[in-house]
Amino acid sequence: MILSVRDFAIGFQREGQNLVAVDGISFDVEAGETFVIIGESGSGKSLTGMSIAGLQPPTAFVSGSIRFKDREMLKRPDAELRKLRGPEIGLIYQDPLSSLNPVWPVGDQIAETLVAHGLAGRAEARKRAVEMLERVRIPDPRRVASAYPHEISGGMRQRAMIAMALAAGPSLLIADEPTTALDVTIKAQMLELLAELKHEMALTIILITHDMGVVAEVADRILVLYAGRIAEVGPADSIMLQPSHPYTAALMTSAMISQTPAKQELNAIVGGAPGLGAFPAGCRFHPRCPRAQNDCKAVEPPRRKFGVVELACHHPIEAAMSLTAARS
Amino acid sequence: MSISTQPARRTIARPKGVLLPLALLVLVILAAFTLLPGLIAPHDPIALAMADRLKPPSLTHIFGTDEGGRDVFSRIVYGTRYSLGVAIAIVFASALFGVIYGAVSGMARQGIDNLMMRIVDLFFGFPALVLALAVAASIGRGLDSVALSLAIIWWPGYARLVRGEVLRLRERPHVEAARALGVSEMTILRRHIIPFVVQEVNVRITTDIGYALVAVTALSFLGLGANSPTPEWGLLIRDSRPYFGSAWWYLVFPGTMIMLTATAFSLIGDALASRRAA
Repeated sequence: MILSVRDFAIGFQREGQNLVAVDGISFDVEAGETFVIIGESGSGKSLTGMSIAGLQPPTAFVSGSIRFKDREMLKRPDAELRKLRGPEIGLIYQDPLSSLNPVWPVGDQIAETLVAHGLAGRAEARKRAVEMLERVRIPDPRRVASAYPHEISGGMRQRAMIAMALAAGPSLLIADEPTTALDVTIKAQMLELLAELKHEMALTIILITHDMGVVAEVADRILVLYAGRIAEVGPADSIMLQPSHPYTAALMTSAMISQTPAKQELNAIVGGAPGLGAFPAGCRFHPRCPRAQNDCKAVEPPRRKFGVVELACHHPIEAAMSLTAARS
Repeated sequence: MSISTQPARRTIARPKGVLLPLALLVLVILAAFTLLPGLIAPHDPIALAMADRLKPPSLTHIFGTDEGGRDVFSRIVYGTRYSLGVAIAIVFASALFGVIYGAVSGMARQGIDNLMMRIVDLFFGFPALVLALAVAASIGRGLDSVALSLAIIWWPGYARLVRGEVLRLRERPHVEAARALGVSEMTILRRHIIPFVVQEVNVRITTDIGYALVAVTALSFLGLGANSPTPEWGLLIRDSRPYFGSAWWYLVFPGTMIMLTATAFSLIGDALASRRAA
């Protein structure tokens, strides 16, 4: 186990009110797996990812525990967290153009990580930067190293970002919606690259996304987050193919556009995700849930084991009926 | 993850037609005056020639002569070093200090940032003329006291500009990306923030040189700056006042030089700003 999150909560104080964005979630990430956190915008998935690297907004209040390789990450001094970012934890963001500094050549920015952590001198770091670019399958890495971000294509920029994040040799890579800004073919290449790098560099990957296509390609295990709470967590296969939580089921059917006949209407989930500070009582999904009953409005469902997954639902979908039930 | 919320920039129209080339020409002429006054000025700017006093413009004295028979054109050429030189020195000193101060304030924790900005407000509120009088009274009249007092009231503008830019740039994705890779705050400031701030500051410096020139010459005109016989432009105008009725050239040519110089810097500043915004 490389990462262990226990009762983690994060929120903000606004006008004297406590707005809780992530409300007591627990999960483990095993070394070497690709762990996907999936959820709508506002579900708290990015905040969770940032907090693992100690990059939560300074105004946020946090509680619970995030242990990375037996080190408590919450409330660790900034200077120590900084030493872990790069050599232990790498991060990539969704927008590869604005995440690269336009005034420095790409190679310099990859080298910077190594220099910042004292892993190499300037000249050595520059050589390693070229090697990293080669490693992320960039043709002619020498030329790209001395190119400025605006001189290379979007796909190359994202590869350069990955090279930056992996240059210092982290064991955990957190990718926050890394494919959002990319078109479909480049997205596929990127996922393939991540999968290959994972094996070559013995990485653990935490992928944060709302893109079901991405999930299907790479996930070993999936965590479904809804309104700051865990809906369901378990092996990717069972969550993708036999979702037990009605929310997961709704997410999957809304994503199965390619498998539904052309004339059938797109399955959207009714209503919108609740806003921060406006979470409904009981099960937070109940106003949008087709299976909701009276107990869902009053009692928050506890997390429990259900087959191979763990979920928080009073009326989960039985395996045999899962897909048909969700579609009807 | 973050959406950049850049405030709408004031749109500055790029100067049109011949204005910009003319402004650049003025700049070239000023540079020549500053660097090679001996080659350009036909006469000695200091030596008196009482036989030639207050002569109107002619082929030997194209801008006429003053009450001491000195060539006004030569005095203007030599004076460039004083008027423009001091203006540039003021702006560069203010910019250097203001950039450092503003950058530290922008990167600091909120409490320190607030304190530093209140100090800036204090300097902002101080009337320039009163300060110039006080400085002149304590270290003596002269261009050095003009430079000191103007620099004291000038740097806060840079501090504020730079702090605002730093706060804006700190939220940029490339800064967050660098932070996410464990790059230290000092390095982030140096490599990922300052290069962008500098572009903004360059525009301000260019425009400010014109303003500073007007301020320097105004203080000299009021008698707080250069001492005779320094051919400083403001002082030329001060000295010309008793003769304005009979010798218009003595007042008009130095005045025109100040106006042309200030306008040229202002236009070039606008051109830089419009290119930045584009």
